[in-house]
Amino acid sequence: MLKAAGHVFMGLAAIVLALPIAIVCAAALNGGRTMAFPPRDPTLARFGEFFISEPVWTRALMNSIIVSTGAATLAVLLAWPIAYLLWKTGARASQTLAGLGSVPFALPPIVFGVGLGFFWAFLGGLGSIWAGIISHATLFLALPLVTISIGLQGIDRAHLDAAATMGATESVTFRSIILPQTLPYTVSGFFFAFVLSFNEFIVMFFVSASAYSTVTLQIFNSLRNGYTPTMAVGAVTFLTVSLIVFGAIARWGDLPRLMGADQSRR
Amino acid sequence: MSVAEQIPAAPAAAASAATQAEATPPRPTPRGAGQVPRAAPDTDTARRPWPRLLDRGGKAVLWALVLALCVTPILLVMAISLGQSVEGSAWEWSLTLRNYQRFFVGSNWPADPTFLYLNQLYWSLRYATIASVLAVATALPFTYLMTRLSRAAQACWLVFILASLALSEVFIVMGWDILLSNNSGLPRLFLVTGLTDWLKETGWFDVLREWGLANPRNVRFKTSELATVLTMSYLVWPYAVILLYPALSRLDPALSEAARTMGAGSWTVARTVILPAVRLPLIGSTFLLFVFLLGTYVAVTVFADPSRQTTAISIYDHVRGANLDAPFGAAQAVILLVTATLFLTLGHFLTRRGSEGRA
Repeated sequence: MLKAAGHVFMGLAAIVLALPIAIVCAAALNGGRTMAFPPRDPTLARFGEFFISEPVWTRALMNSIIVSTGAATLAVLLAWPIAYLLWKTGARASQTLAGLGSVPFALPPIVFGVGLGFFWAFLGGLGSIWAGIISHATLFLALPLVTISIGLQGIDRAHLDAAATMGATESVTFRSIILPQTLPYTVSGFFFAFVLSFNEFIVMFFVSASAYSTVTLQIFNSLRNGYTPTMAVGAVTFLTVSLIVFGAIARWGDLPRLMGADQSRR
Repeated sequence: MSVAEQIPAAPAAAASAATQAEATPPRPTPRGAGQVPRAAPDTDTARRPWPRLLDRGGKAVLWALVLALCVTPILLVMAISLGQSVEGSAWEWSLTLRNYQRFFVGSNWPADPTFLYLNQLYWSLRYATIASVLAVATALPFTYLMTRLSRAAQACWLVFILASLALSEVFIVMGWDILLSNNSGLPRLFLVTGLTDWLKETGWFDVLREWGLANPRNVRFKTSELATVLTMSYLVWPYAVILLYPALSRLDPALSEAARTMGAGSWTVARTVILPAVRLPLIGSTFLLFVFLLGTYVAVTVFADPSRQTTAISIYDHVRGANLDAPFGAAQAVILLVTATLFLTLGHFLTRRGSEGRA
């Protein structure tokens, strides 16, 4: 009885969670220019517009991809030495460093966005795409930092001791034990940063200074003129990317462990 | 917790992508552990070659990068909040507290005090409080049930939750907007199914009108506090699940089973075993989500009544939008930041005192 109630509750939660997303996705099939629901004369033509024929959207999509790929790569490259330092020494200084690196993610994004806007205005990078990339890398630095740290903590000390007794140098140990064992966590960190950067809006809003648009910016700009089914295609695309990425992390990595589940129970 | 207190001074060195490569370990070449040198490790080779990069220079580069990128922007906001705007949309450095005065009592104080900006802060706090409590309260039973599933089922749910977590605020607001707007979505559904007429007959309609959730003809959710809070709560709901997940999945099922064998009902078990065990993460996640929601922008612009907009909207208007006044925008950002820090510290304090009390 209670178990059934539990299932009903979970189902209900899933429905509410999926409802707005499902409505947007369905609206993408509309034949006309209006966001009717249920869709009128369903067609896939809007997908063509989004991906191929309308330069506003194709350019925005390209920018989104460039920014998130660049930002995720930079974030991982910066997070690795910090996480390694923290794991290796555990010193107070490294803890402070890692803590400072996570500050942007913990603050209300609008505050950090305003700060970055000023920051790039001073350096002359406001409105350039690399400023956007570095901004997002900073904002999402915390994610690879956490996943890589989880990976490093999972390394079996016995392997390290064995390597040390056999006379492995630190660099050999790093290459043969540490790097392979933490690779899944590095990749997860990359994709977490990638997906969140892909969907981020407010920080990009401040650092892009309307010089270029990512998909989320373009959609916000079009909000005032009302929704069009082409925008909904953007939502479908983004959802698909997220599902593929997280599905892949779940398939090839240990998603429950990354999310902090207890190891001993299966 | 204050960032400014921990950092002496942030070097304004421009961070280039090139310097980052230096601090990063080189790509590994695929080589097995079999090629480990046989010689006994002497102290010199044991530290070579790349860890040396992390020794001095590398560490300095790391610190410089983190300080420049993560800390300088926040310090800049603080510094600019003391500046003053000049003719047009420009501003200059200064050391005035006028922006803060304007926030709390208006620029014509004491002759003509206004509390417009304080009122906006009040709405920020109010929306964020209701939405974060609502999200955590509904996410708790869900997450508990999820952790009782098999590992594979958990992974499936997590993919679903994470995908919804990552989905941009813009899309979520778009979805809820279609769902709640007057010509489509729920109000239309109410009208078509006759639910509106039924509400009118039973007298509930007048109650809804009093709450501002109906116009003379039909129910109406835009603009309303309900729609704002629901959407904000929806925005952080996946975060709530992710934050509660570790604590709940570590909960020992033997405890609940023991309580149950001793005759406790499920409600008693929830109240006396599960809730106390997750009390601290519960408080911690509520505060985190609250701070996150303080800065919500898109949901508030779309769903909140113009007279009930928040500080975040005002920050945008002053920094990039209609009434350009960067120092005042920065001052509001600082006030939001201080509020956030206060609540994070409070949450930290509560959870720490709680854990000491238990130990």
